[in-house]
Amino acid sequence: MQRRNFLKQLGTAVAISAVVPAVSFAGSAPKDKNKMSFKVAVDAITGGKTPQKSAKVHLKVPEIAENGAVVPVTVDVDSPMTTRDYVKAIHILSGKNGNARCIDVNLTPANGKAMFSTRIKLGGTQDVTALVELSNGDFLIASQSVKVTIGGCG
Amino acid sequence: MEARKSLIKIKPKKFKDGDIVKVSFMVMHPMETGLRKDKKTKKIVPAKYINSVKFNYNGKEITNMTVWESLSVNPVFTTYMKVNGKGNLSVTYTDNTGEVNEKSKKIKPKG
Repeated sequence: MQRRNFLKQLGTAVAISAVVPAVSFAGSAPKDKNKMSFKVAVDAITGGKTPQKSAKVHLKVPEIAENGAVVPVTVDVDSPMTTRDYVKAIHILSGKNGNARCIDVNLTPANGKAMFSTRIKLGGTQDVTALVELSNGDFLIASQSVKVTIGGCG
Repeated sequence: MEARKSLIKIKPKKFKDGDIVKVSFMVMHPMETGLRKDKKTKKIVPAKYINSVKFNYNGKEITNMTVWESLSVNPVFTTYMKVNGKGNLSVTYTDNTGEVNEKSKKIKPKG
């Protein structure tokens, strides 16, 4: 392939990929009382406590998501899940979505294993955070940035 | 109230009493955020998303979830469950428009 042709094709490809998301995901965002920024959401969950970063929380998210409309998220926590020591809740939060809160999962010892997985929408490149509440009242946190090439919100 | 297509999957298929099994629940649901515009009519599509999911096993609640609009279309909820005798696993899910649906599956441990 000639260099000139290659550059032409590259140019059109970039132009198409730049136009498509702008057209397909265009829309206005009305104000909603449901909307929570990331900081407000974390404060609302923890009630002022500072969550600790922990290696016990395994957050599995793709580093690059081609389509922001479907991003698989898996949160796995090392916990014995007995009646004395178990994971009370797993919260999945997004850094820059209109509403930072995606899902709150309240677990019980009957689950046997502290794991949850789902698929979320991301509006653009941002951090995905898993906030874990333990039965003794402590909060653990783990986050990872996800690069989104096509946004999926709004 | 329309019935939605939904599915409860348990992995592995054969399990014994006391085993910890993976439970997946899938629903066909549009999960509209209320921000999207219809391309043809250019009107905002009203919000319609699941806001609560509950897993009940033999009448005891094992997991409950509060959901917001930023979950994908046709969402999947996967978690684990400890098998504790024969029984019924039922999943109840509620919409922000007030739609309530339920799906259940029989649990039959072998051996």
